[in-house]
Amino acid sequence: MGTSVQVTPLCGVYSENPLCYLLSIDGFNFLLDCGWNDFCDTNLLQPLSRVSSKIDAVLLSHPDILHIGALPYAIKHLGLFAPIYATEPVYRLGLLTMYDYYLSRRQVSDFDLFTLDDIDAAFQNVIRLTYSQNYHLSDKGEGIVIAPHVAGHLLGGTVWKITKDGEDVVYAVDFNHRKERHLNGTVLESFVRPAVLITDAYNALNNQLYKRQRDQEFLEAILKVLRANGNILLPVDTAGRVLELLLILEQYWSQQHLSFPIFFLTNVATSSIDYVKSFLEWMSDSIAKSFEHTRDNAFLLKHINIIINKSELENIPDIPKVVLASMPSLEVGFSHDIFVDWATEARHTILFTERGQFGTLARMLQVDPPPKAVKVTMSKRIPLIGDELKAYEEEQERIKKEAALKSNVNKELRASQGSDAKAGDTMVIDASSSHISSDVTASRVGGFRDIFIDGFVPPATSVAPMFPYFENSAEWDDYGEVINPDDYIIKDEDMNGASAQGFGGDIDNKLDEGSAHLLLDTTPSKVVSNELTVQVKCSLVYMDFEGRSDGRSIKSILAHVAPLKLVLVHGSAEATEHLKEHCSKHVCPHVYAPQIEETIDVTSSLCAYKVQLSERLMSNVLFKKLGEYEISWIDAEAGKTNDMLTLFPVSSTPPTHKSVLVGDLKLADFKQFLASKGIQEALYVAASM
Amino acid sequence: MASGVTSQASALKRKDSAPTREGDQLIITPLGAGNEVGRSCVYMSYRGKTVLFDCGIHPAYSGMAALPYFDEIDPSTIDILLVTHFHLDHAASLPYFLEKTTFKGRVFMTHATKAIYRLLLSDYVKVSKVSVEDMLYDEQDILRSMDKIEVIDFHQTVEVNGIRFWCYTAGHVLGAAMFMVDIAGVRVLYTGDYSREEDRHLRAAEIPQFSPDICIIESTYGVQLHQPRVIREKRFTDVIHSTISQGGRVLIPAFALGRAQELLLILDEYWSNHPELHNIPIYYASPLAKRCMAVYQTYINAMNERIRNQFANSNPFDFKHISPLKSIENFDDVGPSVVMASPGGLQSGLSRQLFDRWCTDKKNACVLPGYVVEGTLAKIIINEPKEVTLINGLTAPLNMQVYYISFSAHADFAQTSTFLKELMPPNIILVHGEANEMARLKQKLITQFADQNTKIISPKNCQSVEMYFSSEKMAKAIGRLAERTPEVGSTVNGLLVKKGFTYQIMASEDLHVFSQLSTANITQRISVPYTGAFGVIKHRLNRIYESVVSPQEEADVPTIIVHERVTIRHESESLVSLQWTSDPISDMVSDSVVALILNINREGPKVIMPAVENNNNNNKREEETERMAQKVTFALLVSLFGDVKVGEEGKLVVTVDGDVARLDGKNGDVECDNEALKDRVRTAFRRIQSAVRPIPLSAS
Repeated sequence: MGTSVQVTPLCGVYSENPLCYLLSIDGFNFLLDCGWNDFCDTNLLQPLSRVSSKIDAVLLSHPDILHIGALPYAIKHLGLFAPIYATEPVYRLGLLTMYDYYLSRRQVSDFDLFTLDDIDAAFQNVIRLTYSQNYHLSDKGEGIVIAPHVAGHLLGGTVWKITKDGEDVVYAVDFNHRKERHLNGTVLESFVRPAVLITDAYNALNNQLYKRQRDQEFLEAILKVLRANGNILLPVDTAGRVLELLLILEQYWSQQHLSFPIFFLTNVATSSIDYVKSFLEWMSDSIAKSFEHTRDNAFLLKHINIIINKSELENIPDIPKVVLASMPSLEVGFSHDIFVDWATEARHTILFTERGQFGTLARMLQVDPPPKAVKVTMSKRIPLIGDELKAYEEEQERIKKEAALKSNVNKELRASQGSDAKAGDTMVIDASSSHISSDVTASRVGGFRDIFIDGFVPPATSVAPMFPYFENSAEWDDYGEVINPDDYIIKDEDMNGASAQGFGGDIDNKLDEGSAHLLLDTTPSKVVSNELTVQVKCSLVYMDFEGRSDGRSIKSILAHVAPLKLVLVHGSAEATEHLKEHCSKHVCPHVYAPQIEETIDVTSSLCAYKVQLSERLMSNVLFKKLGEYEISWIDAEAGKTNDMLTLFPVSSTPPTHKSVLVGDLKLADFKQFLASKGIQEALYVAASM
Repeated sequence: MASGVTSQASALKRKDSAPTREGDQLIITPLGAGNEVGRSCVYMSYRGKTVLFDCGIHPAYSGMAALPYFDEIDPSTIDILLVTHFHLDHAASLPYFLEKTTFKGRVFMTHATKAIYRLLLSDYVKVSKVSVEDMLYDEQDILRSMDKIEVIDFHQTVEVNGIRFWCYTAGHVLGAAMFMVDIAGVRVLYTGDYSREEDRHLRAAEIPQFSPDICIIESTYGVQLHQPRVIREKRFTDVIHSTISQGGRVLIPAFALGRAQELLLILDEYWSNHPELHNIPIYYASPLAKRCMAVYQTYINAMNERIRNQFANSNPFDFKHISPLKSIENFDDVGPSVVMASPGGLQSGLSRQLFDRWCTDKKNACVLPGYVVEGTLAKIIINEPKEVTLINGLTAPLNMQVYYISFSAHADFAQTSTFLKELMPPNIILVHGEANEMARLKQKLITQFADQNTKIISPKNCQSVEMYFSSEKMAKAIGRLAERTPEVGSTVNGLLVKKGFTYQIMASEDLHVFSQLSTANITQRISVPYTGAFGVIKHRLNRIYESVVSPQEEADVPTIIVHERVTIRHESESLVSLQWTSDPISDMVSDSVVALILNINREGPKVIMPAVENNNNNNKREEETERMAQKVTFALLVSLFGDVKVGEEGKLVVTVDGDVARLDGKNGDVECDNEALKDRVRTAFRRIQSAVRPIPLSAS
């Protein structure tokens, strides 16, 4: 029998809510994406919390909040502990996106759903794969192979192909078939006839302009505003679609020698660009090619100022400028603040490049006609002063005292257990500072080196400098002194040790200094908010730079892939219904669009068994070649060799069978064939037939 | 499974003698790097698929002599060419092979390898001082080759013509890969140059998840053991430190890329930790390496965690204490200094110029940091001769200290043996090693794997290794056909579909479900002019076919159906149409029906035409027939017996193996001493006669 496959949406069906689905293949549970919305609505995670402990593996497809947002929370609070699989860019950029998101949130609220440490902890479980890498799962998932493939849309974006026993389940959401400046188009079209395809209906009702035309309009719109002495704000994501926008601007600016400044402002802007520079392998062929030929990294941005602090923006004089700032929702982050500053002036423009999430400020502004005024909450984190500070300090003091009390109790307990342990502590031989002299050259070297006096400081109590003396309180047993073998082991990492210290941990360095203050900020602070109404006088423009395949292309791609069964998720109710109807007519009869927590069984009705082809049979088979296939009709008799079902040639004359004609007969080919045989042909269209 | 080493010629002979096994034969032939170091190139072929690993030159030779033995193979048959890393002895004959031979397959290498390959080869073309006719290729060829090279990322699986392959980190240099190739379930691992030791910037070679059937492994260091890296690094820095403190100069001849970056990392770090050395300059004389820095800065994901962590802070390849040196003219040789210069073998160039200048002073030192190739000056001075020949032909005393501290990231015996122990390949093929080292390694491995029935082979260049893999062809029956598993003895009929090396059996109706192919029906319709009565056709058909029926439901025109295959309709007074769905039997039936209708058209009496013809005409015709018959008889006899001559009295003389038979062409009498031959000739003649003469009408 075929492999059993079930799909259960946990979030994000019949709506544009974040993506999170449960796919179980023969009892092995995959969590497909683990997204959250911009408000961190814990209600959305209810379905996930019910199944999180049963999940065996998490597959991430894109590095944005909608696909990975809930990961830290789920791991911290919902008991999700499965290994996570993602491509290297999804891992890195996803991490930075989460940092940026957290820092933006933290700046304006007492955000406590997860912390930076939780983000780090969550991403520690990520197993990084490369595109087209066939990763064989082990233990419970024995026999399952997962492979990420190019999805387009975002850097590192993934279409997951999960294979078991030759049956493919493909999870493809937010793919883009078009080749862009920095990304290749998806390879989804190269998958043919998967058993199950899970895809989204997000863009089913959208159709796009041609890329060239769209780019041109985009640049013209920007220039028009700049020339009219206005500023442009592009609310962007942290390290996703913004990369494409940066490249478009960078290219145009250097072509046209424009001098208007461009700013890229997120909490992690510099690190994200640094990392992006090292992800050339994941980008489009043209970027790779140009690097191979000229060694010019496309993300060596000459015209774009990468900044991580809004004050840098405020310091420059008021000249027309382009600012790309996170978050795209305008709810929090630098984009929010800048919006409030600029919205009241008619000369400025807010240019949206993607549809805002439902219920966010960005979405509110994107409606037609745009609202005249919007209510926003301005929040600020300010240090505590006066009484508040005092109260805070007292509170801290109290906590400290309690902790101290606790540890005291512990200490006493420990002390009573054994006092002789202390005696050994004084006898610490610093093995790492004593150099290894296991080398021939060492003897010659010694002569011209200074005497090693590091760390030798005369004790304050002594009259004259003297060597420190430690009482030898070593233990002895029947065989002599009890030694610690570790003290005598030559430390391998001697040479490395010195340098490694300078670089510290991985995580801390990734953060920019600007945001580091937030991280390490221990000065007590609080958040003050005030509501205000902003008159929206600036112009609002929306242009689609989402980098997703549009409705028409989605339909043609689906028709080409022609899955045996199709599951639709993520997309507004209308879009889902529309695509479902279309696909059941034109793609395949089995189209499903399950509701949240509705488990649908997409186990293929396929029967299959394995047989061995005997050498005797194969020597009689004449294959006909057809494209990449070779086909032959066989009449065989089943038999057994070594417990394996084996096919042998039939002993009697096989029954006649209906002849099979494979392939499409095209009159044009036929005509060519006749011509090649030297036969004059005349083909006419017979309308009456 | 059998294996053995035979020469190419006898390999061909075997192929003829055992055609049935040909498909299962796997051939591996080193075209270079067989019992030598340099010009790596290994040819492999299995089941009509051909793979070439690496495409290098021999650094000790120049021109055509440096190439691998490409003459041994037909480049046009090669499906894929896999290049493991950018070193000249692994990649430098690639432009030649791509541009100057009939090769038309696909080439793959990793991203970093491709980026450095271009820079390195351009430099090689510029530096190599050979005459124009000796040039293997020029800058333009390199540029053109760039367009043909495709990139592959580590672990990425690619399939070309049914050959599946992917690569693992090899650790040797940036971008170095080990390739695993899977053809019809037989896996071959080609390690290229690899190192199992993590160093300052590279990861150690991975151990593949699956054990290969054949492992083609490098044996550069044979049975030698490396000192631990820490000790080597310490020796290296100590030698340099002591030399410069005594006022000497240190020359480090190193190949521009690869290990040089590692040494620079060591030196830069050592200088940072020793402020007293800050006034001693370190020069790095390689504009090429400077150009490649961008590549090193970009592909950090191919390096180890250590570098990646440092990268977060600052670029570790941005050296603080090392300055570039353009040429010897710009070199201000006043006091102690450390100079790293290429080439590594001291053949020519800046390293040789400095060597010639410094070799007579015993304060100076030369540190050879990598593997030294046979035939270069570096190999000679390792043995510390009293005198050396300078580049201008004079001899000079060799007084400078020569140290050999190997940093070349090749596996030593310990690494090789643990690597193989983990993998447990049933067949090991040694390449890329100097003959003696390789022989020692082979002996030692044989003892180590004595009880595992492992075959260890070290073929020479152009010596083929043949192996046989009895392939169990498995097929998967799917769809309607597989609804029930067949019992022993029952039959299975269906389409066998082969794609790459996978087989599927399915019902023809399911073809479009499980493949991109679809089945089709061709309906043919032909109109034949016919003026006679429709009943005549039916009557005639009834005499030939068993089933000739008129359809049940009333048709608009008279219709008959033959064997439920061909529908004949009387369209109008002058037209009959035939319609059938194409398949061999229906085609045949419809052909006969068309012939029949046409015959009726030509009027029935024509069948008895000969009877009404006049005698005169008849005689002439008979003569003609007779002449024709004789001619045909003669021709057929020649084709049967070979030597046939026309003897006296119109007799035909047949000679077979010395026996002579005389055949009377009129009545068929045969005179012959050999009874067997006589019989055969007589029978043959009788049969020919019955075939060539018209059937006498009187008989019927």
